[in-house]
Amino acid sequence: MHPLPLRTALAAACLLVMLGCANPTRAPTAEIAASSAAVARADGAGASTLASMEMRNARGKLELAQRALVQGEHEQARTQALEAQADAEHALAKAEGAKARQAADALVEATRVLRLELERQGPQNSPTRN
Amino acid sequence: MRRPPSSRFPRYSLPHLSPLALSSMALAVLTACGTVPTSNPALDNAVASLRQAHEDPTVREHAAAELQQADDALARARAAQASSDRGGEVDHLAYLARQRIYIAQEVAGRRRAEHDVTGATVERDRVRLAARTRQADQAERRADSADRQADAATRSAVESQRLARASALQTAVAGAVASAAQQQAQDAQLRADGLTQLLIELDARQTQRGMVITIGDVLFDTSRSGLKADGQRNVDRLVNLLRQHPNRRVLIEGYTDSVGSDDSNRALSDRRANTVRTALMDQGIGGERLAAHGFGERHPVASNDSADGRQLNRRVEIVLSDESGRVTPR
Repeated sequence: MHPLPLRTALAAACLLVMLGCANPTRAPTAEIAASSAAVARADGAGASTLASMEMRNARGKLELAQRALVQGEHEQARTQALEAQADAEHALAKAEGAKARQAADALVEATRVLRLELERQGPQNSPTRN
Repeated sequence: MRRPPSSRFPRYSLPHLSPLALSSMALAVLTACGTVPTSNPALDNAVASLRQAHEDPTVREHAAAELQQADDALARARAAQASSDRGGEVDHLAYLARQRIYIAQEVAGRRRAEHDVTGATVERDRVRLAARTRQADQAERRADSADRQADAATRSAVESQRLARASALQTAVAGAVASAAQQQAQDAQLRADGLTQLLIELDARQTQRGMVITIGDVLFDTSRSGLKADGQRNVDRLVNLLRQHPNRRVLIEGYTDSVGSDDSNRALSDRRANTVRTALMDQGIGGERLAAHGFGERHPVASNDSADGRQLNRRVEIVLSDESGRVTPR
């Protein structure tokens, strides 16, 4: 590289850095698509009822991301899309956790009742009277 | 995910830039992208949460991969903080890290629940097996005991028929007994009524020894032991009473006043008592029901100092026994 005038070099560098920080050029369509898929997956797992707050957050941020994309605010769109995806994944994990817990509790309870029934029959188990 | 923050810097090598130029650029970078690293609440919060998650054995055991992702996300947030990224970017990365931590915790909870399900399924199958084994045993015993019960039922049917017949008989007997008892009660009442009536006519009085009927001196012929007509009437009533109450007996007691010697008085009282006894026997009352005894001048009922008193003392007392024939002698 040939030496440039120092001022020119500095100015160019600063401009580039500022541009780089302010506005990435690539539109975050992939992030928004992934986020949208995550919301749909969580909804399919019942997260809309089992993790309603997280799902509300995810949907709100996905909407913000889409609006920002339309307005060309790529950085904002990307940030919101990533957060929406994280929210959706959290909602999914929460919903599945709740369902698993329910299933475990139901099974433990059913077993408890069965055992209780068995113990209750215990005394009648003695040889039948004549 | 995100490119590392360093990739956003232009890839120019600046070998010929002076130290002054480099420091100027660094200053420009700091000015453009953010401020000097300071504490970020969202990041601090995420750091604390992640530490907590690492301390949770459930998370470590069941969500190791998710915990690693949370570690990575937090590392990116810290790098952004260290490289003086904009506060908003650090917040964003800290938020993503925080969500990763939540996810790790939720996944750990889910896997533990799934683990519990496995354990509970084993337990349930064990209990079910026990229940079925018991049911089978019981069914066998029931079949066994059903035969015995059938036999017992037959026996019990025969027995209950017998009991029913016995019970009917008992009821009939009880009815008969009850009506007999009622009859007896009525008879007793009638007899009691009759007795009361007779006792009133005989001017009987209740004493500790029982009902006592007095036949006074005036009913005897003077200085003799024969009965006058009035005395005879009393004897007739007594006969009537003794006929109606065949269980009752009488004790006939003769008394005199104090005039005369003891011996003569005892003899006189004896004779009078026996006069009454004979009069009763003459009318068909069995002698075994009639005891007679003379007490002479003993047991006076009034003073012997006056003529009236002495008259009261000359008497025959007839003590009536109770229903069972007992009579209390003096």
